[in-house]
Amino acid sequence: MRKMDAQSNAIQRFISRMFETPALKALPALQKEEQVLQFLKQNGPQLQPLLASMGIAATADWQETVGGLVREIRSLADRMLENEIQRAIDVRLQFSFYPALSSGRQPPPKVREELGALCRRIANHPVGRRALSGSLSAALSDITDKYIPQIWERRKYIYVEVTRVQRLSLKAEECADLLRFTLLIRPAAYLHAMADRQLGPETGFAPVQEQALQRALHGLSAQLSATPPEIVRMAVRGALPFPGTRGLEAISRLTTISALRGRALAPTLVVDRGADSPDKSWFNITRRNAAWRGLDPRMLDELYSIAAENRW
Amino acid sequence: MKRIGVFLESFIVVIIIVALGHTFLEDFSVLAGWTVAARRWIIWAGLGIDLIFTIEFFCRLYFALMSGEAVDYFIRQRGWIDFMASIPLLLFNSLPNTLALLAGAGLITGLGSFLNVLKVIKAVRIARILRLLRVVKLFRRIRYARSPMAQRHIAIITTISVTVLVVWVLAANLLGSMGVLPGLETSFLASQSEHSRYLAQAGANAAALAARSREVAALDSTLLVARPQGGSTSWTRYDDLYYAAHFLAGDYEYFDVNGVESFFDGRPLSRAAAKEGIVFFVAILLSVLAYLLLYSPRFALGITDPIHVMKRGMEESGYNLEVKIPSRQADDDVFELARLYNSIFLPLKDRGSTQEEQTAALGIDDIRSFVEKE
Repeated sequence: MRKMDAQSNAIQRFISRMFETPALKALPALQKEEQVLQFLKQNGPQLQPLLASMGIAATADWQETVGGLVREIRSLADRMLENEIQRAIDVRLQFSFYPALSSGRQPPPKVREELGALCRRIANHPVGRRALSGSLSAALSDITDKYIPQIWERRKYIYVEVTRVQRLSLKAEECADLLRFTLLIRPAAYLHAMADRQLGPETGFAPVQEQALQRALHGLSAQLSATPPEIVRMAVRGALPFPGTRGLEAISRLTTISALRGRALAPTLVVDRGADSPDKSWFNITRRNAAWRGLDPRMLDELYSIAAENRW
Repeated sequence: MKRIGVFLESFIVVIIIVALGHTFLEDFSVLAGWTVAARRWIIWAGLGIDLIFTIEFFCRLYFALMSGEAVDYFIRQRGWIDFMASIPLLLFNSLPNTLALLAGAGLITGLGSFLNVLKVIKAVRIARILRLLRVVKLFRRIRYARSPMAQRHIAIITTISVTVLVVWVLAANLLGSMGVLPGLETSFLASQSEHSRYLAQAGANAAALAARSREVAALDSTLLVARPQGGSTSWTRYDDLYYAAHFLAGDYEYFDVNGVESFFDGRPLSRAAAKEGIVFFVAILLSVLAYLLLYSPRFALGITDPIHVMKRGMEESGYNLEVKIPSRQADDDVFELARLYNSIFLPLKDRGSTQEEQTAALGIDDIRSFVEKE
């Protein structure tokens, strides 16, 4: 029994040290988890001597040892994720968009509770976890705070799409708030529409079938009873391809672009001399792949221009 | 063993810096009229420095010979610079100067025969310019660029420009001494030679020699001493104590015509040579610094930085930054390549990353580093 405890403590220490390495330290919990799992998969039994020097005795079956490590990775990531979800809902969301989208009503207290419960449900499923990784990272980052005021100031394509085509009368900060909200709901589309699929690199980001989404939408609205159904709808419809989906809301398109950007955020990335800034590079590459990824190329063009002008 | 090697390399870098300072001081001391005692120290220091570099060259050559890489050392690793900036300087500059010191340079009466030897050496004193090749040695040893390619290219350019300057100055002086490019020194020496021939007409007659010396001294302020060979001084401008306090062996111009010895003040020529030396020293130092401070960053921005960014983008799955393409240099080959990297490679890489698992940002070394700390 004592031996088991010692082994378990050693695994905990090893995983927490891995999470704290300079390469991962600044990443959000789910990205840390992805990276560490990927590392274990790629390095496999090579790690045995290092594990042994940390006091982790490898069993005869390497898979069994990995199983123990993976359980600890998930458990540690879950603890960190809980804090991140709480921070995203309590600190990053003000629900300032709520009156404009629900005939002047203030958000009921239940809305935070329901959103937290949804995020936790999403995080419990491998597919949802993948989708949540980019969305949560984007919601916690300053992407929305940086770009939405610029979009409002320029009053070009994205502004027109949001305010005239989608007819949302929102101020810049309300729109940014709405975007953070839809970012947190968006992964639910994958949870419901692709839950039975195998995990792949694009799980949680590749476009889904509209019919599958329609089926999921009803149940999802019930789970988020305090949230106006049109918000839930525009959040999950972000998982649909553009062009190809008639009447796809501007907020949906913007949510997906933000989620993808969130997935690619690398806080520790050192920008070498001679390299372009991270946002500018990302938007330029992504706009070239816009059709292939099912994203709105004109939105990407505008976001690229903003990034280039501001050297982001 | 490796530590000793690192220590010796660092020691040589320090000695090169000292040698450059010494080269400057050697000329500056003449221009500034430093005391003979101070200049003696400079001569001794010069001998020490040249000895160290000669030993260094032989050691490097020995180890290169032992490993069968002598040609590679001499040509590719620029052993020829080690050679040029050591043995010729020792033989033609610091060793003769030191021997002159040992011969008692201050006492003019004991110098006669030695000055004949020194005269030959003085003809090649321009060999001092070879010391400036050490600037190349210095910057070859200091790592100032992140990329080895940048370092190598700047080293090649610096070596070419410094060597061309040094070789041309040497050649110009040789041409000068052959009369092809006569300069101030030629007319100065011609005038002193003419005066010494005039003095020689007095023959062994001490009184006549003294009278002629007074005549010459009234016209030529550089005449110092006149005497029949082996005899006592017929005429002198200063006493022996003054010579001992203000003159080194190299400061005299010596003529022996028909048994009459005449000593002239060579310090004006030394000052002109010192001024030339400082001008070349500063010119070479400035040109090397200009390459390092002005050209090296341009080389990095225009060549090595974009290559480094592309290399990282190809090596690391999570590194997807585009190469910044300056509009003025967009048609450079490197930026043409960078444009293709940005517009074709990175989008394809992005698509590829959606089809296969990415490489983890974490490396085995990251794990090793914290495991070792445990």
